[in-house]
Amino acid sequence: MSDPYREGLDRLSRIRGVRGALIVDGAAGVPVIADVSPDVPVPALAALAASLYRRTERSARDAGLGQVRALQLVAEHGHILMAQGKDVMVVALAEPTAQLGLVRLEVRKLAEAVR
Amino acid sequence: MARDPGSASFVALAEAYRRQGRREEALQICLRGLEKRPTDVAGHALLARLYLEAGDRVRACDEWAIVLSLDPDNFEAHRGMGFYQIEQRNLEAALEHLRRAEAQRPGDRAVREGLSLVRARLAKRREHVGQRAPQRAAEEAPQRSAQRAPARPGIDPARLFEPLREETPFLGALIVDAQGLVLAGGIEGGEWANGEALGAIVSSVVEDAVRATSHTTLGAWRGMLVETEQAAVHLAPLRDDLMVVLVAMPGAPPGWILRAAARAAALASAFVEARS
Repeated sequence: MSDPYREGLDRLSRIRGVRGALIVDGAAGVPVIADVSPDVPVPALAALAASLYRRTERSARDAGLGQVRALQLVAEHGHILMAQGKDVMVVALAEPTAQLGLVRLEVRKLAEAVR
Repeated sequence: MARDPGSASFVALAEAYRRQGRREEALQICLRGLEKRPTDVAGHALLARLYLEAGDRVRACDEWAIVLSLDPDNFEAHRGMGFYQIEQRNLEAALEHLRRAEAQRPGDRAVREGLSLVRARLAKRREHVGQRAPQRAAEEAPQRSAQRAPARPGIDPARLFEPLREETPFLGALIVDAQGLVLAGGIEGGEWANGEALGAIVSSVVEDAVRATSHTTLGAWRGMLVETEQAAVHLAPLRDDLMVVLVAMPGAPPGWILRAAARAAALASAFVEARS
């Protein structure tokens, strides 16, 4: 039987410049599945990403900006892209030279697809 | 340079391409370099020249405005803005820019001819309206008619980001302090469009953004793009706990947002430095 989470992460990880990706239970802030390098502390990253997304959603709603569709952190050596689906959120780590347009698309597609 | 587009040598490389007639490559190098080094005066000046040579005077003017915000006495930017303002028939603004260019390089023939032209047109205009005030007083009058005054130190903080206003997706930009209070800039939009509300977003999410980034191997946090139903909001750290917030229409291209954010950061840096 196929695993939609694993398939989705595999698709993301195949994009040039993607360093890793994880699917996070958005409400609990815990990782569901991850494919990142061993030096990334997955539980901490999952918790902080979920917390950041929830806080941003709350602030955006309070400010009258409506629902958050996607969130992208820009760092010195890359990007963190996030999108929230119905129950889970998808987080991808990408290098500065990654195909960011494609990564954004896949992150959003995966967030909408997985339940 | 190919490995590090933020390298200080990007201007020299772009200039070399420009001289070879490879303008598109020069433009791309400049744009990428300025993403990494948004306060590089020579980079903005070269980008202005590339836009000018491509016939895009509006974008060239935007870049000169940024140059002047970083380097208020820049000769090339004053000369370029002076001729642009002549085209726009903003003669008082043209006069001011060309006089400042002349002060930097008194012998420049183009500037001298531009000044003669502007003075002749101003004299004709005064004659036409029967104005008797001495020419000198008129020349020193405030530039109220200037539609695109450069964002140099001393400008009204609410107009700091004027150079970005002509870009369609741009709704506004702000400098916000750690308490979410707006120091400069403004937003145009719907009912949500007020600095206080956006300040709330900034102050409440930045700490989490910094912490989330610190748990990866991607280095220090440099900014955040939030795409919502009503707008796309980009936040970036400035200095001294200040943030630059750029707001664009929902669905604005992310690449455009990141470039516009870099330009907003350059304007904001110059503004803050002028006051520190």
